[in-house]
This record gives sequence, C-alpha cells and structure tokens, in this order.
Amino acid sequence: MGTSRQDYLDTLTSRFYGTVTITKSFLENEIYISTSKEKLIDICSYINSTFQASLSAMICNDERSLNKYFKIYYVFSLPEEDTFLIVNIPVSEQEPVFPSITPKIPAAHWYEREIKDMFGLEPVGHPDPYTLVLHGNFPDNTYPLRKDFDVQTRLPHLESKLPFKRVEGEGVFEIPVGPIHAGIIEPGHFRFSAVGDSILYLDAKLFYTHKGTEKIFETMPYTKALFLAERICGVCAASHATGYCQAIEKVAGVGIPPRAKFIRTILLELERLYNHIGDIGNICAGAAFHLGSAHGFRIREYLQLLNETITGNRYLRGMITIGGVRFDINNDLKKYIVTLLTDIKKDFKELTDIMFASSSLMDRLETTGRLPAETARGLGVVGVAARASGIGRDARVNHPYAAYREVDFDVPVFYNDGDVYARVRVRVDEVYQSIYIIEQCFDKMSEGSIKTSVKELPPYRQALSYVESPRGENIYWIMTAPDNRLFRYKVRSPSFCNWPAIPYTIPGNIVPDFPLINKSFELCYSCTDL
Amino acid sequence: MSLASNIILPMLQIVVIAGLAPLVKGFINKIEARLQCRRGPSIFQLYYNLVKLLQKDAVVSETASWIFRATPYVTFVSILIITLLVPVLSSHVPVNFAGDVILIIYLFALGRFFLVLSSLDTGSAFGGMGGSREMMVSAMAEPAMMLSIFTVSLAAGSTNLGNITSTMLNTSIILLNPALFLAFAALAIVIIAETGRIPIDNPYTHLELTMIHEGMILEFSGRYFALIEWASCMKLLLLLTILVNTFLPWGVAPGLTFSGLILSFAVYLVKIGFFAILIVILEMSFAKIRLFRIPNLLGTAFVLSLLAIISHYMVS
Repeated sequence: MGTSRQDYLDTLTSRFYGTVTITKSFLENEIYISTSKEKLIDICSYINSTFQASLSAMICNDERSLNKYFKIYYVFSLPEEDTFLIVNIPVSEQEPVFPSITPKIPAAHWYEREIKDMFGLEPVGHPDPYTLVLHGNFPDNTYPLRKDFDVQTRLPHLESKLPFKRVEGEGVFEIPVGPIHAGIIEPGHFRFSAVGDSILYLDAKLFYTHKGTEKIFETMPYTKALFLAERICGVCAASHATGYCQAIEKVAGVGIPPRAKFIRTILLELERLYNHIGDIGNICAGAAFHLGSAHGFRIREYLQLLNETITGNRYLRGMITIGGVRFDINNDLKKYIVTLLTDIKKDFKELTDIMFASSSLMDRLETTGRLPAETARGLGVVGVAARASGIGRDARVNHPYAAYREVDFDVPVFYNDGDVYARVRVRVDEVYQSIYIIEQCFDKMSEGSIKTSVKELPPYRQALSYVESPRGENIYWIMTAPDNRLFRYKVRSPSFCNWPAIPYTIPGNIVPDFPLINKSFELCYSCTDL
Repeated sequence: MSLASNIILPMLQIVVIAGLAPLVKGFINKIEARLQCRRGPSIFQLYYNLVKLLQKDAVVSETASWIFRATPYVTFVSILIITLLVPVLSSHVPVNFAGDVILIIYLFALGRFFLVLSSLDTGSAFGGMGGSREMMVSAMAEPAMMLSIFTVSLAAGSTNLGNITSTMLNTSIILLNPALFLAFAALAIVIIAETGRIPIDNPYTHLELTMIHEGMILEFSGRYFALIEWASCMKLLLLLTILVNTFLPWGVAPGLTFSGLILSFAVYLVKIGFFAILIVILEMSFAKIRLFRIPNLLGTAFVLSLLAIISHYMVS
C-alpha cells in the first residue's frame, strides 16, 4: 500500500516539477499538495482524470491571522487507496479571486458558490456564479465565515434578489412549491416549469435556515462543541458525533480502545438501519402504498425503541464521546439486540417481499427519477444515490474508520438503473449487511475499556475525518486553535453533494412523481444548511 | 301514504345519507388502520371534525371571488338534492317527479364544476393543478358512468332510479345477466375514481403535488371546509347506494311500512359495510397508479360499459 501511494506522489512531482510542494501530514493517509492559483486547474483535473480521484470536499479557511492568506483546500479521494490528496492554494485579501475548477470538475460547483458567499472569494470562470447560501438577503460585503465577522453581529433582513430560472413557451407554467411544506419538514423552495403534468425543468432553492453552525464551532471549547456536532442533524446524530470525535482524536493523536470502536460501529449501523427502513416506509407513502409505509414505520419504531434502550435516546444521541463511548453494552443487552435484529430481519423480509410482489408499486418505482451514472459521477453524488447509479463508493470501504476494517460486508451497487427502485434496492440490501455487521461486531468485540481521555489539543493541526452516514459520505475537516479551541470545523454532508443531482433526475417525469423521487434520495436540509 | 311519502321519506333519506356518510368514511379509515396494525382514529372521528370545523370561521384568500364562497353551498346542496333522487331504504323516491338518473349525473357535475372553479379562484398553484387533474379524471369517468347506468335503464325500461330498483326487485333480472355484470364492474371503477380513492387518488396524503381532489379543496377552511368534507362523504355513500340499490336491490322495501323500512335499513347497512370493506381491501392492495395511467383504467371502465350496452342488445 505504501509503495503505490508513493507512486502517485512521484507521478505528480515529475509531472508538475517545481510548481507543487508536497507535505505529508502527521496522518498517514493525508497528503497536502501546495500549489499556486495558476497551476490549480491543471493539477486538479490531472488528479481527477488520471488518478480517477473524486473531489470529496472543498474547504476554505481564513488563515490571514497566521499567514496573511485565505487558503482553499481541494480534497481528492483516491479510488483504490485509503489516501486523500489535499491540493491547496493561497488567496490574498487584496486579490480575492480564485480560478473555478467547475468547468473541468462539475462536482465543485456548489462548493465554489458557497465559498463566494461565506468568504467573499470569487470563483473566476464559474458557469453559474449566483449566491447559494445567503440568497442575496444579506447586506453586501458580509462574509460570515471570515474571522473579522463577529459571531454576535445582527444583520438587517433584506429582500431576496435571487432569480429563478424560467422556461418560456406555449403552455408552460410555473408551479411554486414551498418553502413551507405540508409535512413537518424543513424549508426548501422548488420551482417547477411544466406543461400539464410533465416537468420540463426544476429549480430548487435551499439554504433558508442558515444557522451559522460552522461559525459557532469556532467559538467553543472542543469538549462542548461535541454537543453542537451531534445536533447538526436529527437523523444522523451518531454519524456527526463520530465524525467530530474522530477528528478530535486524530489531531490529539489519541487512539480509542478497540471495544469503543466496535460499539461505535454498532451504533452507526443501528442508525443506518432505522434510517433505511424508515426511508423505505416513506417511499411507500410517496407512492400511496399504505401497507408498506405502515409496516416500514412500525419496524423503524422497534429500532428507535432499541436505540433508546441502548443509549437512552431514540436518535442515538449522547452515546458517542471524545475518546470512545459513554456506555458499554453488556451481555444481556447484547443478547437482546441480537434477538431483536433477527426478528426484524424476518419482519423486514416479509415487508419487502410484499412490496416487490406488488405490480402497482413496482410500476411507480421502476424507471422513475433516473440518475445516469455519468451525471452522478460528474456531480460527485455519494451514498445510496451513487450506489444505485453504479458508483461503488462507500467510505466504510474506501477509507475505513471505527471497526470497519475488521468486519466483512458487501456494498450493494446497482449498475444500469439509477431509478427509484434501484435506490430502494440498495437500501434493502444494506439493511441485511448492517445487521450482519452488527452481529460480527458482537462476535469480535473483546472485553476492555471503552474510553481513553483526551486532554490538550495541539494548536494549528489539521485533520480529515469521514463517516458513511445513512445518506452517504460525511467529510469533516478540522483545524485546531490554541486553548483547546477550534480554528475551523468544516462539515461536508452527503446531502450537500446530492441535492444538486435531484433537478437532473426530474425532467421527463410528471409532477405527482416528484415527492417519490425526492424521498428516494432522502436528503437532509439541516445537514446542508449549516 | 301521502304524508309518509311527501314528508317523512325525504326527511328519512336525508337523515340516513347525511347522518351515516361520516360514519361510513370513519369505518373505512378504522378498518384501514386495523389492517395496517394501527389503532386508528375512532369511527366517529369525522363527526368530531365536522362539529369542530362548523364552529370555526373560514379564512378566504384575498383574490377569491364570490365563486369561492358559493362553492361549498352549491356542492353541499347539489349533493342534498341527489339524496332525494336516489332510492335508499324504499324503492319510492321522494321527489320522483323532479328528475331521473341524468339529473343525478349532472348534479354531481355541477358540484364538481364549482369546486374546479373555486380551485382556480384562489390563485394557489396546487388548486389549479388539482382542478385540472379532476377535470381529466371526470371527463373520462362520466361517459363510463352514463353508459353503465343507461345499460340498467335499458334493462329496466326506465331512467328513474326508483323505477329501476322496483323493476329489478320484481323481475328476475339479476347480476348474472352479462350486460348488468359488465355495467356493475364499470360503475365500480367509476366510483373509485369519482370519490378519489386509491389507486386513482390518495385521500390521506399531505403531498400536495400528488393530490387530485384534496388539491382542489386545499384552500377551504372552517365551516366551508366542513360542508365540502361532508358533501364528499355523502357523495361516497350516495354512489355506493346507487350501486347496491340498482344492481343488488334485495331487501329494499317495496312500500313504506315501518317494519319493511327497518329490515331494509339493516340490509342496507350490511351491503354498504360490505362495499366499504371492499374499498379498504382495494386500497390496501394497491399503490396509487401513475397519473398518466388513469386514462387506461378509466378507459377500461368505458369499454366495459360499452360492452354492457352491446351485450344488452345481443342477449335480449
């Protein structure tokens, strides 16, 4: 493994001799490649096309207090290796522009717009350089993530100036949906251009509830920030908590006890289980297949009750902590979990058998909301949606964390379809894999402590952390500050990657199928809208 | 006799239909919940809803005209009139002279016409969408409904539902007659479409983009909404009544004796309950079909009703 990682670096050095500086991080699988704005596009597209490395995240950081520059980090994940190549460029305040890589790597499009909104750095050459997060109802020249923006600032509310894309023609009309929706969900505005019930174009406007989460991380001691991290999103609490704890443990150079790793793995898989089964119920509700939705919710309820038994919280909150986990799982509880999961497996099998035998449901699911593999790859789609479109990416395999190196499991990938049905099938198959992983964890788990202590954080250290949440790969990037605080904590959720893909799956479908397609992606507003 | 048929019978019909309609829907909801392993709301829940809504003030969009305010009354009254044109417990129809089955079809259409207008009136995007879909469904459901009822009319020699029921009671025309059987099947499909049940429409959804009937009435609130909800419950019960009393009229009292009416009521409850359970089973076994497949299903109903008429002439 070491040699082939070196091969990549040698190729890069020889190809771009003199224009790149390669720094190995204290972490083995993170390699920082510093370069200049001029060479950026070449290097990024080289890494992307020659190494087949996908853009996992783009992080901007206001390091003016340290080295007078903003820095932008482009995180690429190598396909065969557990290695991240982190290309970075400095951008000065006097010349707040950087070359847009979106024309070469479309996956960068939202990141660059986000950086423009939050840091005021302009991506030059971006094909769609509109505001993304702030909707134009923030005053001009307000860049919330710059260090000179005080977290207490109260801003006047201005009218949004963000235009919608329109389709013109005879019989074309617009259907505005949201931002307030009928269910108890978060706000998002969808603007359909349709002829009758056939959709021609969908423009989605999200980011209605910008909460300044990343900014608040910079004001907190690291111990307290765990609670914020865990509350980024309701249904990915275990993933976000694990991601944060792993980041802190990495910068602190602390390894956690093996038993804690296994317990974390169990919790993460329990989270996947209740999400996937609940999502399958929701997809049935989207197709008005009430039998399926009722039983999906019933099984999800068993799992959430189980969550409460294990952690005291239905959403698995409060269990994962820096340095390990808070509570152990004893033998009685273990037996209870294993028996319950066996029952659930049977119950779930019965449900999916009924679902897949129903021709009317299958008619709704098949061919609906197709996401072609090419589009998915271009936009950097992750998680269930990617695997349903033939992209076999899974952070648990590509970049193992917790105890995933020690357990055996398959990652289901569906190659030709990318429709709602494929996304359902991925979830169904993953449910069995999750149960299998949990059973293995219990078998392989040895007795021992469940927590190590973390005390001091070394300042100005950087690390990546990654978790495959039920929705896909979460990427976190941390940089510490003195006094056990965080200089920057970037959260890149799977929903941020997958939202832009939804409008591409819609044209050609009919308006009443949109809720079904949307549910099959099951994206989170809160994770996107930090 | 004249007192009974002129005063008591109309009152009785209105009490039975208007009074029972929420119960039938509540019964459907309850059975459906039980089949989903849920406890479900009480079967009287719709009465509570109606009482609550009737006490509430209505919020009306600023852009809405008199049509929006008139619609609940037009819809409710048109359904009430239909109540008097349908044989429920007795084959005597209260306002026999006023009109026949064609009037009934047009009264249904009148209520729907106003609902569609009001859905456009508020300027809400969902209303217009629901309205246009409702028109698409009804444009295909109505011909099938007419043809299947005409088949029965041809068999019974009258377009008056009361006469049809008594003819069916007195003669040996039964469902085994292929024409009637086909007409029955066609009408059953039409009823599913007309009342907005799965697999055509989903009455339980909160997803506005998928709605047909519910999309049209989204803007109604308070007492207006109560009238529309009540009318839609009554429409379901009336259509079921037409179905059972035309095709399966056994037990319907031929005259107006007290004991006859009691027996008839009991049989009526059993028959309606049976069909309500059939609707539940149907709704539990299917997902909602794609909007653009609705024409296929209603086309089937139309073809069945056409075959019904043809086979009537061929057999008789």
